[in-house]
Amino acid sequence: MNSAHQKLWFLLPAIVAVLAPSPAAAQETDQGYPATGPISGYMDFHFNKADGENGVLDFHRFVLILNHGFSPRLRFVGELELEHAFVEGLEEGGELELEQAYIDFLLSRAMNVRAGMLLMPVGIINERHEPPVFNGVERPFVDTVIVPSTWFDVGAGVHGELGAGWRYRAYVVAPLNALEFTAEEGIRGGRQKGSEANVRNVAYTARVEYRGIRALTLGASMWAGEGSFVAPRLDTGVTVGEFDARFRRNRLELRWQFAQVEIADAVRLNDVLSRTSGVSPNIARTLRGFYSEAAYRLWNAGPPRDLVAFARYENFDTQFRMPEGLVPLKQFDRDAWVTGVTYYPDPDIAVKADYVYLRNRSGLFPNRHLVNLGLGWWF
Amino acid sequence: MSARALFAAIVLLLLVSAPGAAPTQGQTPRVVEITAERFEFWPSEITVAEGEAVELRIRSDDTMHGFRIVGAGTNVLVPKRGKGYAVARFTGSRPGRYTFECNRMCGAGHNFMRGVLVVGAAGADAP
Repeated sequence: MNSAHQKLWFLLPAIVAVLAPSPAAAQETDQGYPATGPISGYMDFHFNKADGENGVLDFHRFVLILNHGFSPRLRFVGELELEHAFVEGLEEGGELELEQAYIDFLLSRAMNVRAGMLLMPVGIINERHEPPVFNGVERPFVDTVIVPSTWFDVGAGVHGELGAGWRYRAYVVAPLNALEFTAEEGIRGGRQKGSEANVRNVAYTARVEYRGIRALTLGASMWAGEGSFVAPRLDTGVTVGEFDARFRRNRLELRWQFAQVEIADAVRLNDVLSRTSGVSPNIARTLRGFYSEAAYRLWNAGPPRDLVAFARYENFDTQFRMPEGLVPLKQFDRDAWVTGVTYYPDPDIAVKADYVYLRNRSGLFPNRHLVNLGLGWWF
Repeated sequence: MSARALFAAIVLLLLVSAPGAAPTQGQTPRVVEITAERFEFWPSEITVAEGEAVELRIRSDDTMHGFRIVGAGTNVLVPKRGKGYAVARFTGSRPGRYTFECNRMCGAGHNFMRGVLVVGAAGADAP
C-alpha cells in the first residue's frame, strides 16, 4: 500500500464513527426526512466587448443545485454546471461540470464530515461564486488565474465552528496535474476535476475564518500537494497560500485578497514539458496576485431601490519568480482596474455593468479596454 | 415582627424583584439581533441564561432563509433583504446547547448555516 492510500485509510475510522448512531442523533426528530429539494441554482449571461473586437453575447453559466436530506444529520448537495450553453466534443463549445456532489455527516458544531466532490476552500470567491455575491460581470482575475476558481475535486474532510467566531474546513483531495500547468493561466489547467483523478499522491487543503467581530471576516487558506504523478521522476510540489478580508457595514463594503502559488522543482517540470512538446512552457516557480475592492451602496432603500457602485484594483503575475535559466514573459505580469455598478431589482437578481482596463508589462502586447454587461440570478 | 426581620424581608423582596431574577409572567424578553446571509448566521453563538426568555430577530442580508431551532419546535421564515425580519422566541428552560440552522435551501453552502444557543452552563448537545 503506498503512502497516499495510507493517508486515505486514516479517514475510515472517522467515517465509521460518523455512521454509528450517537445519543444526540437518537434524540433528534426525523420528522420531515427524508426530503428532496427544492431545486435551486444560479445562472448568468454576459455581453463582453473588448476594444478592436466584436462584442460577444454568452450564456456563461447555467447551474442547478440539487439536495436531499436522508436525515437531519445526513445530507446530500450536488451542483451541476453547464458553461457557455452548449457542449460538444473536446469541450470546444462549453463544459458540463459536476462542481459539487457531497454528503455532509453533521455531527456537532465543532466537527462534521464531508465527502464527495468538493470545492477547494481557498479564497473569497471559490466557495461563494454566485453572481449576486460579487461585484463585476466576471469574477476577479486573481480568482481565475492565481486561484483557479471554480476549483473542485474529489476528496473528504472535516468542517465546523470552534466558537468565538472561528470556523474551519480541512480536506484531503485529489492533487493537481502539474503537466497541464501553463505560463499564462498558471495551475488552472492542472485541475483533475474528479474525473478518474490520479491519486498516487494526495493533496491537503484547509481554510480558517474568523468572524468574531461584526461586519468583519478574516480568512486564510492553503492547498498543498504533489502534482507530478504522470512523470514519476518529477517532484513537483505545489503550495497555494491565501489571505483575505471582508468588511461590510451600512453602505460600505471592502474586500482584499492576496494569493501566492509556489511550484517546487519548476526547473525539472519545464525540462520534462520541453522534452515532450518541443516548446518551453515557461512555467514560473512563483505566481502571485492580490486585489482590493471598495463598494458603496448608492441606493439603499432595499429592492427594488438597491444600487451598488464599486472599484477594484487587481495585480496578478503568473511569471512572478522564474526558475533558474528562464526569463519571465512580461505580458503575463498584469494589473487591472475594474469599475462599475450592480443593480439589485431583487436580492437574488444582479444587473451588472463594468469597465475594465487591463494592462501588462510587455511592450509588445497592447493594454486592453473591456466593457461588460451581465445579468445573473440565484434562487 | 422585629425591625431586623422586617428589614430582612424588604431586602429579600427587593432582591427577588431585581433584574436577573427568575422570569415572571409578562417579563420583557431580551432582544437578540441575528443577521442571516449565505452561508452563515451572525452571531452564530448566543448565550442565554437558564430560565431567560429571548426574542430573536433574524434579518436577512440577501435571500429568504429559514430559521429552525432543532428540537425546540421553532421554525420561521426569514424574509429577503429589505423586507423586515422574522421573530423567534426562545426560553432557556434547561441547560444545554441548542443548534439552530437555516432550513430553507439557499444554495450549495446551505449546510454551513448553523449556530448554537448556549443555555446556562454549556453542556452536551441538546436535541
